[in-house]
Amino acid sequence: MMTDFLLAAVVIPFLGAALTLVAPMRWTRYICVSSAFLSFAAVVALLVLYWTAGRQGFTAPVWTVAGVTIWGVTGDDLSVLVAFAVGMVGALICLYSVGYMTPENKEHPDVGRPRYFFFMQVFVGAMAGLVFSSTITGELFFYELTGLCSWGLIGYYEKEKGLAGALTELILTHLSSLGLYFGAAVLFVETGSFSLAAISDVEGWPKAAILLGILIAGWGKSAQFPFYTWLPKAMEAPTPVSAYLHAGSMVNIGVYIFARGIVSAGTVPEIVGVVGALAAIFTLVFAFALYFPQKDIKGLLVYSTIAQLSYIFLGLSFAALGGPLGYDGGVAHLFNHAISKSLFFLIAGSFSYSAGTRMMPRLTGVITRMPVVGFGFAVAALAIAGVPPMNLFFSKFAIFLGGFEASKAHPWLLVLVLIAIAEAVGTFAWFTWQFGTIGFGSPSEAVAESKPVAPSMSTAIVALSVLALVTGFVPLMWLS
Amino acid sequence: MSASWLLAALYLTYVVAAAAGFIGRAIGASAQVFVEAVHLIAVTLGLALALAIGGHVLVDGNIFLNGGWFMADPLGCVFAGLVALVGFLAGLYSIGYVRHDVASGRVSRARVGTYYGFYHLFLLTMTLAATSNNIILMWVSIEGTTLSSAFLVGFYQDRPALEAAWKYVIICTVGVGFGLYGTVLVFSNATAAFADPASAILWTEIVKHAAQLDKSLVPIAFAFVLVGFGTKGGLFPMHVWLPDAHSQAPSPASALLSGALTADALLIVIRYIVIANGSIGPAIPQTLLTIFGILSIGVAAPVIFVERDIKRLLAYCTVENMGIIALALGLGGPLGITAALLHALNHGLAKTLMFCGAGNILIKYGTRDLDKVKGLMRLAPASGAVLIAGSLALGGAPPFACFVSEFTTVVAGVEAGYWWLMAIAVLLLAVVLSGFGRMIGGSLLGAAPAGMKSGDLGPLILVPLGLTLALVLLMGVYVPKPVRQVVAQATESVLHLPQAASDAGPGTRSALLWPDVLFPHPRAGRAASAPDGDKTAPRSGG
Amino acid sequence: MTGPTLVNTLATLLVVAALFVVLARKPAHAALLYSLQSLILVGAFVAIAYLFDVAPLYHWAATSFVTKTVLVPAILYFAFRRTEASGLPPPLLTPAATVALAAVVVVVATIAVRKVQLPLAADFKPVMVVSLSMIFLGLACIITERDILKQIFGYCLMENGSHLALALLGHDAPELVEIGIGSDAIFAVIALTFFATKIQGVVKSFDDRALMTLKD
Repeated sequence: MMTDFLLAAVVIPFLGAALTLVAPMRWTRYICVSSAFLSFAAVVALLVLYWTAGRQGFTAPVWTVAGVTIWGVTGDDLSVLVAFAVGMVGALICLYSVGYMTPENKEHPDVGRPRYFFFMQVFVGAMAGLVFSSTITGELFFYELTGLCSWGLIGYYEKEKGLAGALTELILTHLSSLGLYFGAAVLFVETGSFSLAAISDVEGWPKAAILLGILIAGWGKSAQFPFYTWLPKAMEAPTPVSAYLHAGSMVNIGVYIFARGIVSAGTVPEIVGVVGALAAIFTLVFAFALYFPQKDIKGLLVYSTIAQLSYIFLGLSFAALGGPLGYDGGVAHLFNHAISKSLFFLIAGSFSYSAGTRMMPRLTGVITRMPVVGFGFAVAALAIAGVPPMNLFFSKFAIFLGGFEASKAHPWLLVLVLIAIAEAVGTFAWFTWQFGTIGFGSPSEAVAESKPVAPSMSTAIVALSVLALVTGFVPLMWLS
Repeated sequence: MSASWLLAALYLTYVVAAAAGFIGRAIGASAQVFVEAVHLIAVTLGLALALAIGGHVLVDGNIFLNGGWFMADPLGCVFAGLVALVGFLAGLYSIGYVRHDVASGRVSRARVGTYYGFYHLFLLTMTLAATSNNIILMWVSIEGTTLSSAFLVGFYQDRPALEAAWKYVIICTVGVGFGLYGTVLVFSNATAAFADPASAILWTEIVKHAAQLDKSLVPIAFAFVLVGFGTKGGLFPMHVWLPDAHSQAPSPASALLSGALTADALLIVIRYIVIANGSIGPAIPQTLLTIFGILSIGVAAPVIFVERDIKRLLAYCTVENMGIIALALGLGGPLGITAALLHALNHGLAKTLMFCGAGNILIKYGTRDLDKVKGLMRLAPASGAVLIAGSLALGGAPPFACFVSEFTTVVAGVEAGYWWLMAIAVLLLAVVLSGFGRMIGGSLLGAAPAGMKSGDLGPLILVPLGLTLALVLLMGVYVPKPVRQVVAQATESVLHLPQAASDAGPGTRSALLWPDVLFPHPRAGRAASAPDGDKTAPRSGG
Repeated sequence: MTGPTLVNTLATLLVVAALFVVLARKPAHAALLYSLQSLILVGAFVAIAYLFDVAPLYHWAATSFVTKTVLVPAILYFAFRRTEASGLPPPLLTPAATVALAAVVVVVATIAVRKVQLPLAADFKPVMVVSLSMIFLGLACIITERDILKQIFGYCLMENGSHLALALLGHDAPELVEIGIGSDAIFAVIALTFFATKIQGVVKSFDDRALMTLKD
């Protein structure tokens, strides 16, 4: 029963995509939103069943060739939680696209060609497929598929910059996927199986090689150094797509496969944790440094995503080095980040919509003229900065605790934890200052002439702000 | 029970169709519809017969004809099937394409018969090469493919086409001449060494007694064969004719040349790998193939990124893919051989799709220059979508066919211990994918040139493409069981002495399903006993 | 003269005749010289057949006479008999250099053959040398000649070289095989002649430097 819902969540979007190709054009957007919501409904049903059945993890092979499972699915705490987050964001983005991809859109009037909804649905299906995969071949397949979908979506407007950004994305994530190719090859050569669970049967260097391969693939999708350049360029995509890449899909894949690898591996070779932690702290500091030159809120969106993903890698690496709380914190951070980042995108969109600019120097005195947007901006910025009681505070805190745990065996990790805390404080200071300039003072020209946001937008902002304020501990409870 | 008639019927189909083409040429313009009708019947019947032969071989074992000169074994069936399939798909496409050429005045109506005549002669020679058990006949057939296809390459009879045809014939006949020398060395050695010299001409017999061959001669002979048939197979550095010939031929003929012929030539190399394995062991052939393979990929990949003529780009992609096949053969083992055979099929399908798709570009824009081709997706969405899918398929992206075989190649490489080589290869493949990505972004997407009329090409053109795309997709997500079985048995016959296969009764033969052959890993037993699990589900085994 | 000596002498004549084919400037002359070379080849076949008492080789000699001594030269002769040497591009190598190259080829082939341990070839090392030399001489002709007609002759020489090796080492092969190889050669020459004529019609030259439209 649970397996049926699980498979439905994967298959429905693909069926919808196939239907999109043959259906009349004006239906495609409704097919898309229906299949995305049906898929999400299947995930919710799975979640309920899984909860009521006492949260027993299960695995089912789907395509087995003589004892070797090429693709199988697994439902456990990790996959159900993440599938819920990405499924929800995916469905909402599809809903948003129905209105956004229209000729009425002022910034990007567009008829919403079937291609958009086709790629969107394949994306949603591939995300579900990846999250539920129990084999590394399944992960690889869907990993590459999501790369293709974002390629198709980033270049959707077919403008030169968009196409260049799409190509960058395709090349960089494909390059990083080679890590997964090798991980899969080594796993099969060592165990005769593609099952992720078989990683725990491998020992020594081959095991480290598999996990490092997965880690490299993870860096690519999660826009970590040195693969990060595709993410800023991906901002040329239609805005709902950018939001989806940041909150509901691409960047989550990277950390998810690493988390899945660590869960499956049993004991993790130390080298994996060391490499993961060092790379994460490097990217974290790097992204932090790039906050300062950003004038466009989009820039803040990009580098804050990169930094938050570094936190997740850091947490997972702490877990690999003996701090299990880091794992809980990392996965919870993934969940919380999806919510906060969605909010942040709505805020950026609202500034465009009502003030006609996203340039921070041209935005002052927002609170008095645009109270709802200002409030949402405050929540989003403070959440990214990790201020209590915002959701990201809880998960970040758990990651730090994991770091302290792990540092009992590896004292040098304390240095990393301190750097991360310093980054958090710095981010807090910077975002508070930014918020002070943008929120208070006399309204700038752009703000003074702004029109009010639409009621549906303010409703969504308030709803997500509340979620970001009160749900921080939920994923941690789920995981514990 | 003898099923030899199936094989004879397959040859006869192509012979009759070729004859009909030339008769049509003699009659002139009025015979066009007659020639087209015979052509369609022949490619369809040819495919049906090839599939029937494949099915028969799977169930009842090899088919022999004319005292064993002709043979359908699983290995040959893979390639004969590929030839018939590509012949069918490109054959369907030919109807619309050649009609367009006639309508645009590029080809006179009377010469349509010439095209179809040589088309079927070409199919016949390729089929003979795949189903020949007589090693001299193998060479004759490959030489025959050069001569019959040369007239397709030079079909337009303009300056570049004639140049390409000239280079093609000269380089390939010379190259294949080396193949003849290798063949003669093996044959004469076998004549001298075997108890029954009369059997020395049969590949099956040579393989059976390969251990008796002179161990100092076999490496020389193999080198000659590899250079000779590798020339036809488009391996670097003998590939120089290939971009010219593939770019100048009519697009469906390019599909045949690239999708079927190059792989067919490598089949002969595979046949000699089997002989060499039985004589001197796999070390020397594997080393040579690995070197040729990686060099071919390495030389072709950067060109794919910069080339601005779409058909030349695809031609270099053929070199790259033949490199992958050679590399997979060089890695060896069940995985490597399986990967090579699967890749021959997958590449053949994907390349058929792309060369025919490039034909659409030619029809629409009248140029192959990618700097002038812009915004196909706007002008002809169906053609554009097919080309995008085909490009991604050739770039090795899932869910398309080549992904499966390329991934299998990587696994084979890691299993063989060639980490570093695989790392280089996959990086080069990433270059290929980016080259195709660049091509899509530059020429298929974006705004169309001003003044171009939008509108897609007719169903005669689009239906064959759709069919091909469906097959490329099918081979990417679910390789049909009969295909898996044929590939498995072919892999088996490459790796073992064939008496093991022929001694076994029909029942045990068909029981050799692919997975057992594909995954004969020493520790594979553990995979079966260890169910998939995760941290919450305790695992047994291990 | 013992049997093997006769065969070896004929083989030596083959190389000399091949050299003349390469050196001839007028295509009609080259065709006649090629016919002569093929006649010597047929003589060698007959000698080998007599020596080993192998009936199939007589058939080989007969078919080779028809294809190589008559048909192929006839095709080339009638296709290009009006082509004058003055209208053709000069070769890359001077005649002296060509002779020197041939000498080098023979020496290299001799060294290569010394290693071969085939029982049949034991008495006929010079024939093996000649066969290899002809192949490489033909190859050299194709590479160094600017004239595409000469490249056809180069191919024919290579083909004769392979054929000699086949007759020596594999005369047990069924006749059908020999006929297959022989007719293949005819078809190849027909195809090459066809394209050379077409190229002359379109490009107005036999110079392969004019065939540069397709360079990358």
